[in-house]
Amino acid sequence: MAQIKIFGYADKISVKAGDTIQFHVSADGTSTAEAHLVRLIHGDEHPHGPGFIEEEIDCVANGTWRVEKQFTQVGAFLEVADPDRKLALDGSITLCAFIWPTWPDVGHRQCLLGRWDNDKNHGYGLGINPSGRLEFWVGCGNEIDYLQAELPLQKQAWYFVAATFDARTGRATLYQEGVVNRYNSLLGKVAPVDYRSHVSEVFRFRQHNLPDTPFLVAGSRDWHALRGHFVSQLYCGKIDRCGVFDRPLRREELDAIRAGEPPPSFGMVACWDTTKGYTDRGIGDLVVDIGPNRLDANGYNRPVRAQTGYNWNGRNDCFRLAPHEYGGIEFHADAMIDSNWKVTRTLQLPETLRSGAYAMRLRGGDGTGLGEEYVVFFVRPRVPTGRIALLFSTATYLAYANERFATDGHIVQPMAGQPPTICEVDIEIYENPEFGAGCYDSHADGAGVCYSSYRRPMVNMRPKYRIAAFDLPWNFPADLSILAWLEHMGYDYDVLTDEDVHLEGVAAMAPYACILNSTHPEYHSERMLDAHEDYIAGGGRFICMGANSFCCNVAFRDDEPWILECRKTGGHWKAWAARPGEYHLATTGQMGGIWTGFQRWGQKLVGNTFAGEGFAHSQPYRRMPDSYDPALSWITEGIEGDIIGDFGLGNGGAAGIEIDCYRLGFGTPPNAKIIASSGGHPDNYIAHDEEGAYSHQGFSGTHNYILRADMVYFEAPNNGAVFATGSIAFGMALPINGFENNVSQLLSNVVNAFVRPGPLPSSAIREGKESVEHLAI
Amino acid sequence: MLPLEYDRSQDRDIIVRDRFDTLRREFLRTIVTPEVIEEHRRSPLGQHSERLERLLIYFRQRPLDERYALRTVEPFGKYQVVRLSGHRGTPPRAVDETIYASANEALHGLFLHCIRDLLET
Ligand SMILES: [Fe+2]
Repeated sequence: MAQIKIFGYADKISVKAGDTIQFHVSADGTSTAEAHLVRLIHGDEHPHGPGFIEEEIDCVANGTWRVEKQFTQVGAFLEVADPDRKLALDGSITLCAFIWPTWPDVGHRQCLLGRWDNDKNHGYGLGINPSGRLEFWVGCGNEIDYLQAELPLQKQAWYFVAATFDARTGRATLYQEGVVNRYNSLLGKVAPVDYRSHVSEVFRFRQHNLPDTPFLVAGSRDWHALRGHFVSQLYCGKIDRCGVFDRPLRREELDAIRAGEPPPSFGMVACWDTTKGYTDRGIGDLVVDIGPNRLDANGYNRPVRAQTGYNWNGRNDCFRLAPHEYGGIEFHADAMIDSNWKVTRTLQLPETLRSGAYAMRLRGGDGTGLGEEYVVFFVRPRVPTGRIALLFSTATYLAYANERFATDGHIVQPMAGQPPTICEVDIEIYENPEFGAGCYDSHADGAGVCYSSYRRPMVNMRPKYRIAAFDLPWNFPADLSILAWLEHMGYDYDVLTDEDVHLEGVAAMAPYACILNSTHPEYHSERMLDAHEDYIAGGGRFICMGANSFCCNVAFRDDEPWILECRKTGGHWKAWAARPGEYHLATTGQMGGIWTGFQRWGQKLVGNTFAGEGFAHSQPYRRMPDSYDPALSWITEGIEGDIIGDFGLGNGGAAGIEIDCYRLGFGTPPNAKIIASSGGHPDNYIAHDEEGAYSHQGFSGTHNYILRADMVYFEAPNNGAVFATGSIAFGMALPINGFENNVSQLLSNVVNAFVRPGPLPSSAIREGKESVEHLAI
Repeated sequence: MLPLEYDRSQDRDIIVRDRFDTLRREFLRTIVTPEVIEEHRRSPLGQHSERLERLLIYFRQRPLDERYALRTVEPFGKYQVVRLSGHRGTPPRAVDETIYASANEALHGLFLHCIRDLLET
């Protein structure tokens, strides 16, 4: 019998009690799964903590679900809506496109554009053949005629390519010319590379079109007995303006298009102007046909827009400045932003469900290994009631979704300071591209992954999961240690997610006196960052629980908040680098990269941000003089001695993994105080490059005081305040010794003060002291 | 060095890298001592002596398909040493049958594999 595997996802990540949520499940080796709604309380199984804790919740969906194997279409392509079959051309034809292939030598056929049925061999297509050469072909079912170029295509070079077919004579002609300039391609003029090919041949027959074949760009139709229709022959690379004509264009006409002149209208069936429809606020998935039939094309699996085009010449760095130079649409054969599985079960959540982190637990067979799945989602109350909210970093979860850097990333072992620790599900996603990748991965063609979505199983947003690269709970499972602490301490709290903050802004945060965020609140859209700033400035009290906080700039479309866009640029701490000219987010038009690039350092918001990282080993904090200031000593009340957090589930200390520090030059508010600070981290901790424009050997843990986590406290206007831990390991120290420890003590001192209405203890004391001094004079 | 074999590869960077690593390995072999191995056994993670750190930095920089990893057989209970494939889609494979009872023991077992590779090449 086949191994039992169950994977699933929900259509929403954040819902309210009483809302409806849909579950999409795929199963191997079983046709049933036992489902049970659970509330998640603790996710780290480390033996020094309380272990995994869930609470089973009564719900109408509990019980046996029928499940089936579901298939996923991977790969980005464009599909043309052509109800009148204008593109079912039976006679003469011209196909033309500007292309920039990234993997011409992948070894299998890639279809650039065509109306081709790869299963039945009907239609026509222009593509790249298994030997990496441009090829045109026509099929009539039992036979295919091919015409290939004389030499293979160069990778990352712009070409103008075309195929013309004269149905009267049967003559097929290929046109291939490089359009390489000083900026747009991998190689320049000095490389003696031949880009040109012009060949011609007489075909034995004409194409025959099936009625229902779709016209696709970057793929072709295929069929499988279990799956039905799907798209194969997926292309890796960019395509700029492209078109179809119902006559063979002459060589001079093709030369003119290559030179940037408008394509002739005579005989034009479709002409996709990939630069049309851009707005100052972003680019959608629709590719506009400016031809007579308005055959617009729609992107599947989000082809990457806003990429440099064939005529990009290095002067403009964004599609907003020069749309006509940004016609490149980039396709990846392994892109995946939605599993698009059938709904397995729809559930209306009970109205009385308390706010929390929930999952639909699914078990197939004996429910062990890959036979157990937790589909995680977050539930808000219908009306906020608690004074405290725990804000889950769902944007960061998305950025890390299904990352494979332990198995695929060259840089990960040197960075982590340890070899990876791989589990069964890591191997499953390494073997199977249907899970899609995260923004820490690269596509198989080498380009970075800039879109990530939660409409697919996210195997690392699960309780119990440990990130392979660092052998730690990471993001969601680590954040459950903060939730478990709130539970243990008996606080009345609600949960929030990044998605709520993005969609509703500060209104989502405003009802709460005190908000705690996560162990690693790294990725923020502009709207999220603004909401945080307004919340704190408006009198909110914010506890930044983690590190590498508020670093990266990402974007979401309002109507598709499940998809995040991320462009990696700025600084050298990034999993991949956006190509020159491609630093701007297609979703919003804003520059991507890190908030440092916008003068919005994390320090400006919470007093500290990224100092460096090193994983593998954590340190305690030592109290700093500010903690003994009578106005601030309430923070450390009940704590004996100078050492805080020489323990933890995150490598044995409360300060470590990734660490953040105070820095006036990056906007730490001038009234901020350092309550405690770590230091002496191993040399595997390396300072972030914002700390110095040059790197040198002294930028490591034992050599440089910059490598430290600072616990920072400051008061904001309107009785607002911020406490920031500066460490990913902080939250993971809370569960030690049954949550009875000095990290827990300190955090409860802060939470208790933050939820109390009226002035903060520090300002009350300071005002009191000031009046005493005044009297003394 | 196998000059003729290299003549068929387009990427000349590999030649330079291999030459660098040959010299690097020559030196690293001279610093493998029982003390260094014992130091790793006692504490596989965290700050180490310069000798041990040099060895570890080299091991972590090997090409992906020459790198080892741990595989969790049972969380916090059973670990194996595996070798990465370096090819997406191809799972890591176990290097032997040994099951380690803790992550630290497994990390040391992995380290000994790296030491063996270093001394044998
Ligand atoms: Fe991160």
